[in-house]
Amino acid sequence: MPLRQIMLVADLSSGRMRREEIPPELLRAYLGGRGLGVRLLRGRHTLSPFDPEMPVVFAVGPLCGTPAPTSARLSVVSRSPLTGTVYDCSAGGRFAWRLRATGLIAILVEGRSPRPVVLAITPAGQELLPADGLWTKDVGATVGALSGRGSVAAIGPAGENGVLFSNIMMGEGNAVGRGGLGAVLGRKNLKAVTVDGNLPVPVADRGRFDRARADVMRLFRASPVIFGELGISEYGTPALVDLMRQRRMAPTENFRRTVFEDSSAYSGPAIRAAYGAKKVGCYGCPIQCKKSGADGRHLPEYETVSHFGALNGITDLHAIVRSNDACNGLGMDTISAAATLSAWGEARGRFPSPEEIGALLSDIAHRRGEGNLLAEGSRRVAEALGKPGLSMSVKSLELPAYDPRGAYGMALAYATSNRGGCHLRAYPISHEILRKPVASDRFSFSGKARMIKIAEDTNAAVDSLVACKFAFFGASLEEYAELLSGVTGDPRSPQGLKEIGERIWLTERFYNARNGFTRADDDLPARFFTEAGTSGEGIDVPPIDRARFGEELTRYYRIRGLRDDGSFPDDGFLGRQP
Amino acid sequence: MRSLMAKYAGKLHRDRSIARGRVGIAAQDDVMLSDGPPDLSRLAADVLSRLSCLGVVAASPSLPFAEYLLPRANAGAEAIVPLDTETRTFLHDIPILRREKLAGDPAAAIAALLSNRKGVIAEGVGIVASGPVTLEQAYIHYSSVFHACYVKYLLDALRDGFLLPGETEAFRNFRETFLRPLTAEGLSFRAGPLDDPEEVLSEIRAAGRYTVERGLVDSFFGNISYRVGGTIFISQTAASLDELAGCVDPVPTDNRSTTGITASSELLAHRRIYEATGARAILHGHPKFAVAMSMLCEKKDCPVKDCWRDCPDIRMLGDTPVVAGEIGAGGLAARVPPVIRGPGKAIVYGHGVFAIGRDGFGEAFRSMVGVENRCRDEYFRRLDARMRRTP
Repeated sequence: MPLRQIMLVADLSSGRMRREEIPPELLRAYLGGRGLGVRLLRGRHTLSPFDPEMPVVFAVGPLCGTPAPTSARLSVVSRSPLTGTVYDCSAGGRFAWRLRATGLIAILVEGRSPRPVVLAITPAGQELLPADGLWTKDVGATVGALSGRGSVAAIGPAGENGVLFSNIMMGEGNAVGRGGLGAVLGRKNLKAVTVDGNLPVPVADRGRFDRARADVMRLFRASPVIFGELGISEYGTPALVDLMRQRRMAPTENFRRTVFEDSSAYSGPAIRAAYGAKKVGCYGCPIQCKKSGADGRHLPEYETVSHFGALNGITDLHAIVRSNDACNGLGMDTISAAATLSAWGEARGRFPSPEEIGALLSDIAHRRGEGNLLAEGSRRVAEALGKPGLSMSVKSLELPAYDPRGAYGMALAYATSNRGGCHLRAYPISHEILRKPVASDRFSFSGKARMIKIAEDTNAAVDSLVACKFAFFGASLEEYAELLSGVTGDPRSPQGLKEIGERIWLTERFYNARNGFTRADDDLPARFFTEAGTSGEGIDVPPIDRARFGEELTRYYRIRGLRDDGSFPDDGFLGRQP
Repeated sequence: MRSLMAKYAGKLHRDRSIARGRVGIAAQDDVMLSDGPPDLSRLAADVLSRLSCLGVVAASPSLPFAEYLLPRANAGAEAIVPLDTETRTFLHDIPILRREKLAGDPAAAIAALLSNRKGVIAEGVGIVASGPVTLEQAYIHYSSVFHACYVKYLLDALRDGFLLPGETEAFRNFRETFLRPLTAEGLSFRAGPLDDPEEVLSEIRAAGRYTVERGLVDSFFGNISYRVGGTIFISQTAASLDELAGCVDPVPTDNRSTTGITASSELLAHRRIYEATGARAILHGHPKFAVAMSMLCEKKDCPVKDCWRDCPDIRMLGDTPVVAGEIGAGGLAARVPPVIRGPGKAIVYGHGVFAIGRDGFGEAFRSMVGVENRCRDEYFRRLDARMRRTP
C-alpha cells in the first residue's frame, strides 16, 4: 500500500485549513518540489503576485527525510513580484526535513490574513498564531521568538514592506532568495511558518537505496569541486572568487569590467583566515558548503562577496560580511540588493562606499527615502533615473556573479531562464568553468543550445527531487534516479527524469507566455553586446556577437519545439499535460 | 559539430580501441548529424533520437573482449560488473544486450539501457555510449567501457582460461600482433630541474602527449604535474593528457588561492607525494596490465571485502608496491606517499600507476613503462603457467 502523500492547504483569508491527498499520478508526473509547485499554480498562474488568491507553495521532494545526500531541501513556488514570471527557489537548512517529518510533503498558502499570523505545523495538526508582536521584527528576532516550535521560515522587514527582492529566510540562515517571495508572504500577512515533526520516511528498497547512496558518495569524493582540498566543502562557494578572477569573468563595477584586482581580499582563503570559517550546512548533507565564523555568524556566499565586493568596487571584507548580515536580518536578497546598488551607483556616477551601504540596506528594507525606489530592483531604478541600460538584469532579475562575456552558455542560459537572470537553471558554469562532468569551450556557442536545453530539463528534475545543484559536480541523474527508485520502489531512469524536467520547464514557459513574455524578454543587457570585458593574461574577452547569440537562441527555440519567435505553436499545451 | 565528430573518430582510431573504420558517431543540435559506416552511423543516430543527449558513439571494438564477456556472464545477467576503479566510480556496471534482444528494434533496446547508463555492450554490434553534455563525453564513455572490458577480460581469462570457440586464436592474435612493445625510446624529455613556467608547461604537454601516443594512457585517464618552488603545475580534472594546452592549473602549495579548484582530483595525492619524496615530476596513468595485475591477490580467507579501499597491506609486484586507496578525497593520498619514495613508483589497487621524476618527466615516464612491461610479462607468465596446468 503506497504511502499517502498529504498537502496542507491554508486559506489565510478564512483561517480554514485542510489536509488533502495529492494524487499519485501527479507526483509521478511532477515528482515534488518545483514541479509540484508549478503544477499547483495551474489555473491561477495569471493572477498578480500580490493577488490574495495567488498561492505560495512550499513543497519538499520525494527524497526528503531519507539519507539521500543533499536532499533535505524544499522549493517555494509562486509568481515573482520582481520579475512577473513564475518563480521557484530551492532552500536547504532544517526546515524541509522537519516539514516532511510532520507527515506533509507540501503546504499551499492562499488568501490574505486580516492580521499578521504565524502558521505553526506539527504532526498533530496546524494552527494560525497571532503575530502582531513579531511584525517589524528582523529575521533573527523572529526566529528566536519561535525557536520552541521547531524550524522556522520567516520574513523580515523587507518582506513586510514589499521589497521586490525580499527573501523568505530559514532559521538556519538559508534563503528562499532572489524573486521577492518574501513580499508575497508579507502581503498575505504571514510572518512565518514553523514546522516540527518526528515522523520517519520509509524507504521501499533499502538495498537499492544504499547502493545508490554509496555510488553518490564515491563520486563526491572523486570531485575536486566538492571534496577537493580547494573545493566548496573546504572553502564554501567563495572558493570561486579566485577562479572567476583568473578566468576574467568577475563582474566589476556594474559589469563595466570583468576583473577586480583586489578580489583576493574576500576569497575563500581570506574569509577562512579572517573569520576562522568552519563547516556548517543543511540537515544530513555530507558537503557542508556553508561556512560560519567562530562566533556562529553565517558567512557570505560567492555571489554575495563578489557583488558587494567587485560589483561595487569594495575591498573591505568586514564591510561585505556586515552587508550579508544586514540582508539576512532584514530578509533581503544579497545579489539583487548589491546589483541594484551598483546600477544606482553607476547612474549617479559614484558607487556606494562601504560606510554607506549599511544605512542604504536598512532604508531599502523599510522603504525610507531613496530606499523606497531602490526597493523596486535595478530595472525600475534604472528606468526611473532615465538610464534603463544600466540595469544588468534579464526579465528584471539581476545577474549574479558570472559575466556572460566569459561563458557563452551562461549568456544563453541567462536569456532563456524562466525566472530571469539566474545562474542556477541550466548552470553551465559546471562544464564551462568547473569542467564537470566534462569541459566545454566557454568562448563558443557551438552546441550550446542543445546543452542548455538538456541542462534546464535536468535541473528542473533536480529541483523537483529536490536535491542540491552542488551534488551534480560529482553525481548525475543516473545515481539520483537510483536513489528515487530505492525510496519509492518505482523504477525511474535519468531519461525519464529529464522528460519530467522538460514538462516542468515548458509549463513554466507557457505560464510566462500567458503573462506576456516573448522572445524580446529572452535577451541580455545591451552592454554585453557592445562593450568588451577586461582582456589580459592571454585571455581575450570581446563583446558577445549579437548575431551569433540570436542564431543560437533561434536554434534553442527549435530544439524546444517552439516557434522562432519563442512562442508556443498552439494553445493546447497545458491541456495535454497531466 | 562535424569537425568534433571527425576529431573523436580520429582519436578512437589512433588509440586503437575500434576496429578500422568501424565507428558511427551522431550528434544533435537543432538537426541530427551522423557519420561513419551506414550501419553504425544509422544506429548511432537512431539511438540518439530517443535520448536527451548531445552525442552517441557506436563502434566495433578492436578487440573481442567485450563480446567474450557476454557468454561468460551468467545466462540471466543483465550487466557485467568490472571492478576496476573507473568502472566502480563512474560506470557502476555495464549493461549488456544479447543478440535476441536486438532482433526487433535494436536502437530502441539500446536507448532503453542508455537511458540508465553511460555505455552498453550490444552483442554483435559492439559498444554504444552516450554523451549527455558534449560529444567528448560519448567518446570518454566509449573509452571507459573499452578499458573496463579489457581489464576484466584479462582477469577472467587468467582465472578461467579460454572457454569459447576461437578464443584461443583471438587471444594469441592480441598477444602477438595487437600488443606492441612499450618503450620510451625515441622520446625527448627536457633534463630538469625546470624553473621557467613556460618550459614546465611545454614539458607537461609533451609528456602527457607521449603517454597517450605510446599507449600507456587512454587520453583522459590520468594526470600529470610538476613542482616549481611553492607551485604545483597540475593537469585539470577531466583533461585529456594528449590535449593539455590551457588545461594546466598552477596551484600554490600554501593554499593561498583556490584557483586550483579545477585541478585534477588527485591534487592532494600529488601534493603529499611531493612532500614525501622531494620529487619534481609526477606522472599518473592507468596502463591496463598494471591495473589488472594490481587486482590479483593470493591471500586466502581475508576478512577485507572492499579490497580496493580497505586493504591495509602493501603488496609487491616485482619491485613496485601496490596499495589500496579511493580516488580524490578517499585515502589514496594517504597510502601512496609512504611507499613511493624508495622505488619511485607505486600502483593503486584497480586504478593505475604513480611514477615520480626527481628532476624531470623522463625518469617518471621510463618508470611507468617499466611497471607496465613488468606487469605485462608477469601476466603472461601466469597465464602460460595456468595454460600448462589446464590447457
